[in-house]
Amino acid sequence: MSEVSNCVRRLRFDHDEMTQEELAKRVGVTRQTIIAIESGKYTPSLGLALRLAREFNRPIAEIFKLEEAE
Amino acid sequence: MNAEQKRAWLAVGSMVAVAIAYFVMLPFLGPRASLSAFALFGVNGIAPLIGRKEHLDERDRSIVRLATGIGAMCSYLGFYAATMGVWIVVFAVQRERSVSVHVFPTMAIVAGMVPLILGRAIVVLVLYGRHTEASDV
Repeated sequence: MSEVSNCVRRLRFDHDEMTQEELAKRVGVTRQTIIAIESGKYTPSLGLALRLAREFNRPIAEIFKLEEAE
Repeated sequence: MNAEQKRAWLAVGSMVAVAIAYFVMLPFLGPRASLSAFALFGVNGIAPLIGRKEHLDERDRSIVRLATGIGAMCSYLGFYAATMGVWIVVFAVQRERSVSVHVFPTMAIVAGMVPLILGRAIVVLVLYGRHTEASDV
């Protein structure tokens, strides 16, 4: 089984301590969705992942990683 | 709380109102006539008017999709279990030769519509509750 982990929270703080609300507005989702992504409870669609990558100016693979669990 | 959660709470609240009304009417009207309490469940007809202009994002849509699927499953199971139950009661227990015409609308609403709306509402509330525990800035 594999799970997707991410560093959205860290990147948000690296970008002038951007708030969840601000990031949510920029990528076109609700703040609740950002909370769910950061806590690993929701895996975003490819489109939203690409928008996040564009927002943080990082490659998508740097933000989202596949964690292989046994 | 977004529009979907408000609609879900409306469904749960109206079901509680139905249950209270049913048990209040039961001693006066008897079990059959007291089923008219389900008229209160019709208030869910105004649900589409709640938060009409509110934007649903991809996570909201995935929750709604899953909840609607589970609601439909509950409806299917409830309706078929209830209608087959009627056959057993009417043909095997009461030894009647036909099912009363009054039974079907009750089955359609109580065992079909209510599980659909209520099942969907409960799944919406559970999924939103589960996904938004860690609320910080």
